[in-house]
Amino acid sequence: MQGTMILNGIITGIIMGGILSLPVLGIAVVYGITGVPNFAIGLIGVIGGYTTWYFTADLGLPLAILIGMAVCFPIGFFLQSILLTPLSKKGADATLFFIITVALGFVFQGLIKVVFPKLSVSIALPRLGAIAIADVSADGVKFVALGVTVGTLILIRLLEQHTKVGKELQATSQNLRLANLIGINTGMVFGFAHGIGCSLAAVGAIFWGSLYSLDLTTGWSLGFTGYIIAVIGGIGNIWGGLISALIMGLVMSFAGYLLGGVWQNAILYLVVMLVLIIRPRGILGSERAI
Amino acid sequence: MKGRYSELGTVILLLVPLLFLFAGPYWSYISTVIYLFVFQGYVAWFLLFRCGQFFFGYSVTMGCGAYCTIVLTEVYGWPILLSGLVGCVLAALVAVILFFATIRARGFYVGMVSFLLCLLFPMVIEGLRPITGGRSGLFFDGLGSTIGESTLYVIIIVSTAVLVALIFAFMRTKTGAVLTLISENDELAQTVGINTSWYKALAYVIAGFMSGLGGFLYVNFNATVSSVDVDAFTTIYIFFIPLLGGRSVPYGPLIGALIVKLAPELLASVERYQSIIMGMVFALVIVLLPDGLGASIGGFFQKAFLKVQKHGPRL
Repeated sequence: MQGTMILNGIITGIIMGGILSLPVLGIAVVYGITGVPNFAIGLIGVIGGYTTWYFTADLGLPLAILIGMAVCFPIGFFLQSILLTPLSKKGADATLFFIITVALGFVFQGLIKVVFPKLSVSIALPRLGAIAIADVSADGVKFVALGVTVGTLILIRLLEQHTKVGKELQATSQNLRLANLIGINTGMVFGFAHGIGCSLAAVGAIFWGSLYSLDLTTGWSLGFTGYIIAVIGGIGNIWGGLISALIMGLVMSFAGYLLGGVWQNAILYLVVMLVLIIRPRGILGSERAI
Repeated sequence: MKGRYSELGTVILLLVPLLFLFAGPYWSYISTVIYLFVFQGYVAWFLLFRCGQFFFGYSVTMGCGAYCTIVLTEVYGWPILLSGLVGCVLAALVAVILFFATIRARGFYVGMVSFLLCLLFPMVIEGLRPITGGRSGLFFDGLGSTIGESTLYVIIIVSTAVLVALIFAFMRTKTGAVLTLISENDELAQTVGINTSWYKALAYVIAGFMSGLGGFLYVNFNATVSSVDVDAFTTIYIFFIPLLGGRSVPYGPLIGALIVKLAPELLASVERYQSIIMGMVFALVIVLLPDGLGASIGGFFQKAFLKVQKHGPRL
């Protein structure tokens, strides 16, 4: 009985971690390459989620998801190019970026309220039924979310290693001055990375919206939770972010089993605080200093 | 000398809402709501701009003051003032423990830990629902029922003015000067042999205690407190107050609090667009006026005054 409970906790934790890691991936890509912490990324992702919900009935789910992701890309691109890169060049630090992106978060939250007719929506992904592994059953969509996370990671790796844009992204994140010297348009690369990060956040929001629901506060909680998990992994470190998301998923899962749902998030945040106090640069270390 | 006049002027300006006692309950209510945030705004201004410490736990320290007051009074039957005092001490303790816990961290990580605490706090309140009331909140009569609403109003306004006067006076002491030096150049302060950790800890104790006192006033004015009152947005709004008002002028937090708390009231007719307008104002002020709105307003009046002095008034 106890063995089943532990197994159940592990599987639920891994699935939870998989879902949490989607926005974390977006944050890791943006921070790893641009060095900008964008706390509004969850809200931008939720705009993509709402857009997907809006077009699903008329255009079908696959196209609606693509539109949702496509809407987020230019938001991230222009936000980086018009505002964040110029501020970064003027020497803005992480605290200033925190303040500005939180302020912009209010703007995005207001836009969702004005543009979309419903304040709370659920995205209807195709029901796959329950999938059982060793006496533990979970909604099939959760396994799909986990699969999408792993697939996205592989896609990012392939993009980095086999395309020109990917190599430019890598070069820019490793040495900005050198990247500039060899003629890489780093401003463009930053914009592109931020666009990709926001599109990834949209995927996270879509899955969140199918498992739970999207409302005006979802973007904040996705962004904040995603951020602290990214910090624990070593902000900007994609693999660190994934490992951290899986560990945090397990922490949440067991906290939920042992102490009840009310304490699930509280224990997560407490563990994160303790990790940050003991190891301020995260589990695998950050590729950039905040 | 000019700075001293400016500070004195600010303290007198802070007492002006006492005139609202004669203007009816609506204005006194509005000014109290704003002043509870002016109070916290000055605490944030002190810690951020005068001591150079990035702290995002204002909702926690304020919550310690508020929850201690209401829980100890209502559940355990303690005298209200003693409950408030315990709340203030607890708030100071939380702030200083957080400082020592993050002493190894650098830069934004310090702020991140206190921000995590402010995300965690409402969850703990929710988890302790049988004692704290969680989202539904706890209710009590508060000081207002004993001393009267008008007296409580006067106490809140005067307390804010006294707090601000104390901060100004403190910054003129030797300890205040050391804190200013630390905020401007931490490394230099260490090089000349100052134990910066001790001074920073002192700043956290003072700020935590004052923020707890603000929480005590908050819960007595509202006669209730819930987890919503102490969520992360409370900290974000408090943090924005000194940033919007500006670091260089003593009346900065007053202007910041007016933007953060009065503007939503004025925008009630366009509630649908409120979040967009507020977010834009926040972002634009921070990007375009890095010294804050207070400094720009002060500069504008100074220029106008000099112009009038030079050319005489236009008739």
